[in-house]
Amino acid sequence: MIEKILEALIFPGAIFILAISLFYEWFDRKLYARLQNRVGPHLAGPFGLLQPFADLVKLLSKEDIVPRAADGFLFTLTPILAPTIILFACMFLPISGLSGVISFRGDLIAVMAILSIYTIMVYLAGEGSNNRFASIGATRAALQLIGYEIPLTLALLSVAVAAGSLSLHGIVEAQLRRGFWFIAGLQLIGFAIFVVASQAEMERIPFDIPEAEQEIVAGWEVEYGGRRLALFRLSKDLELVLLSGLGATVFLGGPLGPVIPGLEPLLYTIYFLVKSIIVLAVFTIVRAIFARLRIDQMLSFSWRWLMPPAMILIILTEVIA
Amino acid sequence: MSFEVPIGPQHPIHVEPLMLRLKVDGELIVDVDVDVSYLHRGIEKGLEVRTYLQGLYLAERICGICNCAHSLCYCLNVEQLLGKEAPPRAKYLRVIVEELSRMHSHLLWLGHYFHTLGFETLFMYFWRDRERVMDMLELITGNRVTTAYNTIGGVRRDITPEAESKLRKALDYLEERMRYYDKVIDSEPTILARTQGVGLLKPEDAIKLGTVGPHLRASGVKHDVRLDDPYSGHDEIPFNVVTWDTCDCYGRVKVRMGEVRECISMIRYALDHLPSGDYRLKIPPFFKAPEGESLSRVEAPRGELVHYSISNGGTNPYRYKVRTPTLANILSVTYMLKSRGDYEVYIADVPPILGGIDPCICCTARVVITDEARKKRRILTLSDLERYSQEKGARRR
Repeated sequence: MIEKILEALIFPGAIFILAISLFYEWFDRKLYARLQNRVGPHLAGPFGLLQPFADLVKLLSKEDIVPRAADGFLFTLTPILAPTIILFACMFLPISGLSGVISFRGDLIAVMAILSIYTIMVYLAGEGSNNRFASIGATRAALQLIGYEIPLTLALLSVAVAAGSLSLHGIVEAQLRRGFWFIAGLQLIGFAIFVVASQAEMERIPFDIPEAEQEIVAGWEVEYGGRRLALFRLSKDLELVLLSGLGATVFLGGPLGPVIPGLEPLLYTIYFLVKSIIVLAVFTIVRAIFARLRIDQMLSFSWRWLMPPAMILIILTEVIA
Repeated sequence: MSFEVPIGPQHPIHVEPLMLRLKVDGELIVDVDVDVSYLHRGIEKGLEVRTYLQGLYLAERICGICNCAHSLCYCLNVEQLLGKEAPPRAKYLRVIVEELSRMHSHLLWLGHYFHTLGFETLFMYFWRDRERVMDMLELITGNRVTTAYNTIGGVRRDITPEAESKLRKALDYLEERMRYYDKVIDSEPTILARTQGVGLLKPEDAIKLGTVGPHLRASGVKHDVRLDDPYSGHDEIPFNVVTWDTCDCYGRVKVRMGEVRECISMIRYALDHLPSGDYRLKIPPFFKAPEGESLSRVEAPRGELVHYSISNGGTNPYRYKVRTPTLANILSVTYMLKSRGDYEVYIADVPPILGGIDPCICCTARVVITDEARKKRRILTLSDLERYSQEKGARRR
């Protein structure tokens, strides 16, 4: 019992996930900066490793402002719920073992549902702040969901079909049984779709349309400041962990790798981190090499170039399996 | 349902205060209203109370980025009043520094433009290469930004052989980089998607709206002051006027890319054929200009720049008037931002369209109040202006 609680709270649960989420943000920023010929964070801690933490603490200590026009209930609720649900979804990731802290049959569906709920949080956060830019951003976020959600779901589901299981544990086991990762083979297409759709889910270039700085200032989060903004930023970092971890688990075998008996949890964690950082690096490189699309272009792109391959992929997977 | 979205006076794409009131229907822009008068600095008046030489330093500060064009235009204007002409070597040196500052302005614009499109990487790359140009400006003129190079009757210092060889090396480097950027811009689908067909401005509309500079040339009109009215040895230095006929934001990018390459070849030619002799005329610091008026035109990086002065024989101009390129181009922005029939403009198109004219608001603000409803037009005096700003401030509070 105590062991279970410690697992959920410390390792590989909440505290560990929060810590690596800040590390992932550092990695993302550093790699992005290096790709752009910049230095990136380098002041706080060795190689600037503590910069995301410093930013978070700084934001948390700032004045808390609620605009008079904002809906107080939504304005308070969404910043709390957004990181919470993403952190909850991270609990499903098999970090230190073949299954996550929480695991049940069909948890892949739960993770996908949480990803959609997060977008609804974004929508509510934008509309709740009662600002013109925020409501444009919120509408864009909801519109964007129509574009990427189905391909993302189909890409993950085709792996589930290939594995014959709807749980992350089952997918990892299937890869262990077969002796190869799903990315080696047909699901490579699924991985590509997953990467593109994840960029949209995380609102990163080329799909940072809901918060396009140059167009609508900061979009849905324009009114949020201080600790509310800190919580939203934290939920973005957690999303980095969730999506790169999900990609690593589903397509790259998650915690699988050569193991030495007795050291499994440690080695599993290392393999998981390395693989998810590889996925994160792909995310960052995608972010660095594109311009932002317009919302109508984004929708037509995903219905033209993401949907058909995703459909064909799931049919092919079904036929082969 | 339509509602108003204010882009400005403070907004991440504006470096300077500019107000665009967009009336939008969803993401579609139906109407737009532009207000540029947030930054009136009274420079024209300031020029009238300074001597000609003091005025040079003020004229240079009309705009930070095209400071070289402003100081050159001012010098040409005063030289014309005095009936003097800069020596040939000074003319060539002026061209070298003018083209360098055009390169710096265009590279800055290109970087900023891709930033407005959300392409941060290209933004960083362009600005890194712009640093090279800034270093060259510093090497030749002594200053990075406000060069203070042109002076009445010539230039302030000569180019050293060491600076010349460094400049040539930098030009080779930049030529190589521009080839690379051309490849990137032409092959990157997201850039093409965001610029092609956006902000259409037909040549006849462009002329009717009085646009100038690269913005006009991107609409396929061959108009360049350097060609039409060679003011500093441009009749001897061969160059092409870069035009593009797509009339959209993509064309505006391509024209500026092409102009950077033209700058490189012009500087090379000027270095190869640099005439010997003096680089400035000896003109005393205090002088009286003969009575008369003079008009000078310079092709600034953003377009045609016009300075006009009237002298009544004193030590300072009686009236000085500056027409900056952004003032000429800002009207076309309101035209391009309105959706008409098939031509649809989205909120996301505001940054590329507004950015396309390379807006420089600090040179643009004017205090002429035009009341279209009552067909009235009045110019404010200083005390009117004070009262107006106090009232406006009180209203805001």
